[in-house]
Amino acid sequence: MADIESSLLEIIKENAVGLTGEPTRETAIADLGIDSFAVVEIIYEVEEKLSIEVPFNANENPLANMKTVGDLIDAVKEMSGQS
Amino acid sequence: MTGPVTDGATGHGSAIAAGKGPRRVVVTGMGAVCATGASVEDFWTNATNGVCGTEIRTIKANDGTEITVPVAQADAWRALNPDLGRDIARADDFSKFAAFAADEAVKASGLDFAERDLGGRTATIIGTGIGGQSSLEDTYINMLCFEKRPHPLTILRLIPNAAASHLSIRYGLRGPAFAISSACASGAHAIGVAADLIRAGSCDAAVAGASEAIINKGALQAWKQMHILSDGLCRPFSKNRKGLIIGEGAGVLVLEEYERAKARGATIHAEILGFGMNADGKDMINPAVEGAAAAMQAALAGVRLPDAAKIYVNAHGTGTLMNDPTETKAIRATLGADADHIAVSSTKAMHGHLLGAAGGVESIMAIKALGAGVVPPTINYDVPDPECDLDVTPNEARERPIELAISNSFAFGGLNAVLAFGRV
Repeated sequence: MADIESSLLEIIKENAVGLTGEPTRETAIADLGIDSFAVVEIIYEVEEKLSIEVPFNANENPLANMKTVGDLIDAVKEMSGQS
Repeated sequence: MTGPVTDGATGHGSAIAAGKGPRRVVVTGMGAVCATGASVEDFWTNATNGVCGTEIRTIKANDGTEITVPVAQADAWRALNPDLGRDIARADDFSKFAAFAADEAVKASGLDFAERDLGGRTATIIGTGIGGQSSLEDTYINMLCFEKRPHPLTILRLIPNAAASHLSIRYGLRGPAFAISSACASGAHAIGVAADLIRAGSCDAAVAGASEAIINKGALQAWKQMHILSDGLCRPFSKNRKGLIIGEGAGVLVLEEYERAKARGATIHAEILGFGMNADGKDMINPAVEGAAAAMQAALAGVRLPDAAKIYVNAHGTGTLMNDPTETKAIRATLGADADHIAVSSTKAMHGHLLGAAGGVESIMAIKALGAGVVPPTINYDVPDPECDLDVTPNEARERPIELAISNSFAFGGLNAVLAFGRV
């Protein structure tokens, strides 16, 4: 399995239109400029690259308790059993 | 002019004679992309030069299988590889074609949709025969042959309203917005319905047209199974015609209420004098003279007809065995003896049959012919057919003063839509 942190940072870099510079664990999710298209694309790429299934339901806003890219990375690690 | 056009034609007609109707509709912007150009200027120059945009090509599917048939692909557009922005970059080609053509039309119109919130009073109506069929084919091949899951944007790529939605977002248009799907009449329906909405006061302007992008193996194979695809050239109205050739692209107009356009000093390319639409109510494949003629009559009802020598009909002219003689009879039934003196041509031999988008690019062809006083030719015309005995402007463009340009669109399923354009 690919390294989750580097893979996710790469996926975010490709899809976050509001981002200037390199994303890090400290980058605020609010600063990524992620639109509705990007959300589904990021989840899809995470699933494809990391061979996991993200239990994402758009009705539940899973980003509600996440503030930074680091929070996102930790959540994906937990889903993949690597936390 | 004493043709047998009657006001009592069946079907919906919304012709408004210049000066009589309370709200008139004019064309203030145009955008085109297809096999014969990635701008209105190139499209028109190639049309007057009789450039053939069709070619026998091998189209491959993702599973490695292929089909070899004549097609008319938008090569100039692909070579241009335009940056259409992030949202459109992830969309199906039919949305990309629509956005590209609409950008040209909107820019040319000089409209600012933010000014006095015009966007809130502007409709977005984009026709398509099938929508994102190529995206759907890729998805099914990946899923069924390679066990790959569908991309999460698959639905947003393939829905027929994708192009209309993208354009409404692109320009901030919040008036009536939807797709119209009536096979090969989609484009004419979209423009006609948009004009009717402006006439009715439902909006003041519209971005209206159509887009199609179904050059993929599955679609071409399905068309081939209908046995109406040419195996070489498309030869409309010619005795040795062997069928149509599938094209791709988009034609988009900016429509505006006349007084508004005049007040802002807009360049007015044409007025939409009439729009007729109806159904044959007879057969899914075979067209009917009566339905086509009634749609033409509905479009022309109330229009003051000029001398026959100043009338141009951009025919549906698919180059199939059935369409061309049926359309010839419909034109004769509409215009009577004057039909012998009008100019007719089918430009599909050049740009291919854009299916849903046909009425979009062919409306632009008709409007350019009206403005330039030049009739684009029916190229590849070879052997006269007594069943198609109109002056179809064979092979060479011809200078001719035009005051009334008619664009015919007749769809599978017997759905007819006809637009009539004139000068203000």
